[in-house]
Amino acid sequence: MQPIIRAHNLSYKINDKKLFQGITFDLFKGKALHIKGENGSGKTTLLKIVCGLTTPTKGDLTTNTNKKICYIGHKNALKQYLSIEDNLALMNVGNHQDIQKYLSIFDLDKSLDINIANLSFGQQKKIALLRLFLNNSDLLILDEPCVGLDMNTQKILVEFLNQELLNGKVVLFSSHISLDIVSDSLSI
Amino acid sequence: MDIIKFEFLKLLKKSRGWLGPILVFTLIMIAYPLTVELTDIELGQSFFSILWIAALLVMMLATEDIFLEDFNDGSLEQYAISQNNLSFVVGSKIFIYWLVIGLPISALGSIFCVGIINQPNFGFQIFPVLLISTYIFMNVFSFGNALSLTKGSILGTLVTLPLLLPLLIILGKVVIAINFDLNYSGFLFLLLGILSIIIVIIPMITSYIIRAHLE
Repeated sequence: MQPIIRAHNLSYKINDKKLFQGITFDLFKGKALHIKGENGSGKTTLLKIVCGLTTPTKGDLTTNTNKKICYIGHKNALKQYLSIEDNLALMNVGNHQDIQKYLSIFDLDKSLDINIANLSFGQQKKIALLRLFLNNSDLLILDEPCVGLDMNTQKILVEFLNQELLNGKVVLFSSHISLDIVSDSLSI
Repeated sequence: MDIIKFEFLKLLKKSRGWLGPILVFTLIMIAYPLTVELTDIELGQSFFSILWIAALLVMMLATEDIFLEDFNDGSLEQYAISQNNLSFVVGSKIFIYWLVIGLPISALGSIFCVGIINQPNFGFQIFPVLLISTYIFMNVFSFGNALSLTKGSILGTLVTLPLLLPLLIILGKVVIAINFDLNYSGFLFLLLGILSIIIVIIPMITSYIIRAHLE
């Protein structure tokens, strides 16, 4: 079986300062990898390399998926001056069959006309997470997905990710807190 | 094609983004005849200079945050990951900005041309020139904006300003041709030629610049 992600000897340096080096891993269908490390150790950079946003200084990376990657980064990609409804339209998930389900779980179904700027950080994060919950990808990449989330939403997120793993998807995430997800871990 | 629909929605909802440049252009056009007390003929002579410079500056103003907002909120990251063709996204953004800002400014410029010069045919003749030139301005300034995405967008647009000086010379020649009732279609085709090159090259280069900023 071919891995969905094959990383071999990845290194990255900024201005002669080595961020990480010799990162090698294979990630197969239905598997998750938890990237651990201190602040500034290069977790986000590694995730961006896998997304194709950043080029490694050295090493090879192969992703074997035809579908688009679902990436949830530090930035929410939400328009502050638009309503929740408009933002969902921009995410291209406005017509998804499960959208009402998640909106009511997050207690946001009656606030569709409220501007994002008027929501709390946690609520904004929940809206951003809809991109993940309504994804159509084989590869899910999450950079500190639990920041700003309450315990209940963290639980929903973990349950969702476990279900996606059972569906054969690949999850790559960085998190300072340990999540109840069956995953390998990689310390950088 | 969703990207065009989404960009249109975004820009329309952000009234500051499109209404501001149109109002600035209108104010310049209204202020010009008020600030000089000259005969109608003299007003007409320097009107076109004011028109081109106003269009140029307003396009610079309009493109100020064409990529900056998307860069800051992470939308550009999402585009770069999910869209196979980032240059199409860039091209679509520029097109929508031109449609919402450049097109009304071209129409307003033609109307003011009729009002100030008092010759209706001048307005009709200048309209296609304005349409093409505003699109070229917008492309070049968007490129400049992308250049200095992380260092204040206005810096890059100022750097690209000299690139438009040859275009201003051509626009001056167009006005001379119109004034002397000569056939100016040659200049129009020249502008179209410049636009057809720019419309392909600028989104492509800009998408590479944006990817470099996202790294």
